[in-house]
Amino acid sequence: MTATDQTGTMTPALEARDIVKRFDGVHALNGAQLSVRPGEIHALLGENGAGKSTLIKVLTGVYPPDAGTLWRNGEEVEFHNVRVANRAGIVALYQELSIVPTISVAENILLGEQIPSRGGVVQWRALRRRAREQLDRLHQRISLSRLAGELSPVQQTMVAFARALATDARVLILDEPTASLTDTEITELFSVLRSLRDEGVAILYVSHRLEEVFELCDRLTVMRNGETIVTKDVADSHIDEVISSMVGRSAGELYPDRTTVTDEVALTVADLDGRRVKDVSFTAHKGEVLGIGGLAGSGRSELLRILSGAQKHIAGTIRVGDKTLPHSPGVGRALDAGIALVPEERRTQGVILGSTIRDNIALANIPAVSSFGVVDGARISDIVHKGMADLKIKARSQRQPVGELSGGNQQKVVLAKMLARKPKILLMDEPTRGIDVGTKAEIYRLIRELAAGGTTVIAVSSELPELIGMSDRVLIMHEGRISGEVRADEADEEVLLAYCYGKADSDDHDA
Amino acid sequence: MTTTRNPGLEDPTDVRAIPRRSMGQTLLASGTVMALVVLIIFFFAMRPDVFLGFTNVRNILYQVAILAIISGAQTIVMVVGDFDLSVAATSALAGAVASSMMLGGTPVPVAILVGLAVGLLVGLVNGVLVAYLNLSAFVATLATLTSVTGLAFLVTEGTTLFKMPAEFNNLGQGRFLQIPLPVFIATAISLILWALLRYTTLGRRWYATGGNAEVSRLSGVNVRLARLLAFTVAGLVSAIGGILLAARLGSASAVQGEDNLLFSVAAVFLGMTVVRSGAANIVGTLVGVAIIGVMSNGLNILGVNSYVQQVVTGLIIIAAVTLSSLKTRER
Repeated sequence: MTATDQTGTMTPALEARDIVKRFDGVHALNGAQLSVRPGEIHALLGENGAGKSTLIKVLTGVYPPDAGTLWRNGEEVEFHNVRVANRAGIVALYQELSIVPTISVAENILLGEQIPSRGGVVQWRALRRRAREQLDRLHQRISLSRLAGELSPVQQTMVAFARALATDARVLILDEPTASLTDTEITELFSVLRSLRDEGVAILYVSHRLEEVFELCDRLTVMRNGETIVTKDVADSHIDEVISSMVGRSAGELYPDRTTVTDEVALTVADLDGRRVKDVSFTAHKGEVLGIGGLAGSGRSELLRILSGAQKHIAGTIRVGDKTLPHSPGVGRALDAGIALVPEERRTQGVILGSTIRDNIALANIPAVSSFGVVDGARISDIVHKGMADLKIKARSQRQPVGELSGGNQQKVVLAKMLARKPKILLMDEPTRGIDVGTKAEIYRLIRELAAGGTTVIAVSSELPELIGMSDRVLIMHEGRISGEVRADEADEEVLLAYCYGKADSDDHDA
Repeated sequence: MTTTRNPGLEDPTDVRAIPRRSMGQTLLASGTVMALVVLIIFFFAMRPDVFLGFTNVRNILYQVAILAIISGAQTIVMVVGDFDLSVAATSALAGAVASSMMLGGTPVPVAILVGLAVGLLVGLVNGVLVAYLNLSAFVATLATLTSVTGLAFLVTEGTTLFKMPAEFNNLGQGRFLQIPLPVFIATAISLILWALLRYTTLGRRWYATGGNAEVSRLSGVNVRLARLLAFTVAGLVSAIGGILLAARLGSASAVQGEDNLLFSVAAVFLGMTVVRSGAANIVGTLVGVAIIGVMSNGLNILGVNSYVQQVVTGLIIIAAVTLSSLKTRER
């Protein structure tokens, strides 16, 4: 690659040297280094709590560093606030995209001081022209007059990009930009990022998805405990070695060994029909980890929601052991029957962010911690204590608000809440989304332990390696139906992908 | 409480690792409570002879008793994340129904029970509209506010009802140990609501629903029922306030106690600034009620015009809420 050849002499677009940042005496950053060159996509990796977010906030002027210097195009700079950093061409786009859903695409792109006006009257034509220029750079055909809230997630991402470009951003910082995107949308995003890179924009790319990093990025920097561990070319890196530098020990096996599946049928689903789910039948055994894959919108999440009672269904039966659940039982009765769901969107469906760990875990266990309608604080303390100890939840106390925890620990709170119900069937929708590698491994181990203890775990995942690695058996859904079933130890990604697109079956019939 | 678990100090999951702040510490840390203290000191300094005398303190308590009850109703609804514009109208209707029945010869206890039932019913209607028909609380309770006021006018035939039996009026005007009965009733209701919110499963469900309804639903909480019950309880409690107001005034009209709507919302908002979580809570609401009561009484004593009082009350609310939000931002 020619870019790497020239880089020896290239001045970094943005450089951070020996950055130190303490909060309440605790080092969040302890001599962090980062150097992003113009015209490269640079991955910033590390477990949650490694200091990535803090570093980004120092780079964009949110926090002043306690020590260390920032350099922009070889000159030392100080960013007192976000606006100063923006003016220097540094723009960060966060997970929760900063679009205003209720105003038009054009206004979103030129939001703020940029809206052209004459005597306070908006010059719509100029506004639309300038907005269109930015979208053209991204090769996007989005109607300028649509409301931003009506766009698909990837289009919203593009609008946020366009706004960054409109402010003449030369350093673009992306935090988990693919979290809410489907595979095709990710492909589109990547091609846009590559074309921005070729225009000379420096892109700092933060992601937990290592496969993406290896596909997209030119160089990577790994952080751990507030320090920079390594910076190197992606071409010279190997995924296992990156993982071990992130976790600070050998990655070992991410997935634990499979355990024995019993013959006893734990869950029988017959002819299930509902929104996005068509005629689904399958059984799951006691002690089995059953993976469910498929593209976004294939009905995999809806299937879990119906099984958990969160969504109504039109027809079909659900049987736990030999007990048939009432039609559309609702979450309460499904829980009573032994089916628990760890939902897809942790922050909006899994935990009450403003509430304490204690209250969150108690939430699904109110009957167990109360008598005659009165709650018993000591019983809550006991189940919460047990949950936090079993799952190794890192927190100051039971009374710490869940919003202050890392993503991995939040996910453990959701798990603790549901495991306290001692479910026979544990449904998990994207169990490791947005979680660092170390915690991922813990969750896989936990899933295995539960299965070994006789629980049936049914987990939806959009990551094929995860699906294969953690499951005993994999079902793939396509347009609401089950399009394929594979034993995980015989599965390979290509076959699963073909089922995802609904191809394999029809090919068989054609042949 | 003794438990068998290992009392290791470094145990991160230990409940006691962060000492829970006592209620006293919590209150002192709040700008809103400071505002109350400052108000009391100010009025005391202005009129040391009158303001903190037994008679005046009794007056303040008497004046805020009914607002405290209505604000308790509003607190419940705001805990689940909604609000109820119809509390004051419901209270007026309940007072009017009970009074008109007494004037028609119905025994006092029966008339009171019917008044309470009317409040419960209005609350139930609000609950069905909001929780089951998915109307916004604003629209639903604005609509019931309108209809309920109309009903109250029908019941009172547009007049003020009076000459209710003495035993009824005594509920609002009588004293026990020198203290007016409404103060005892308001205290009892506040205690009951506080315990309901703090110690019962229903209270925990209410707080969880207000915290995040979707998370609660996916955790097996019947969110619709929780909201329905919140509005229903609010209707019932409002009715208690309204019947007591009729007894205190010795009269009932369709619009009496109108002020209590806005003041109750203000009191709950002030109260939300008292706790760290920012959720509605009874203790905080009572602090808010006290601010409003002290303010109006103090300004009265100083001879300030009642319209000016209204302006100042608004300013105090802004000041207290601003102070608290500044503090939150620092964290």
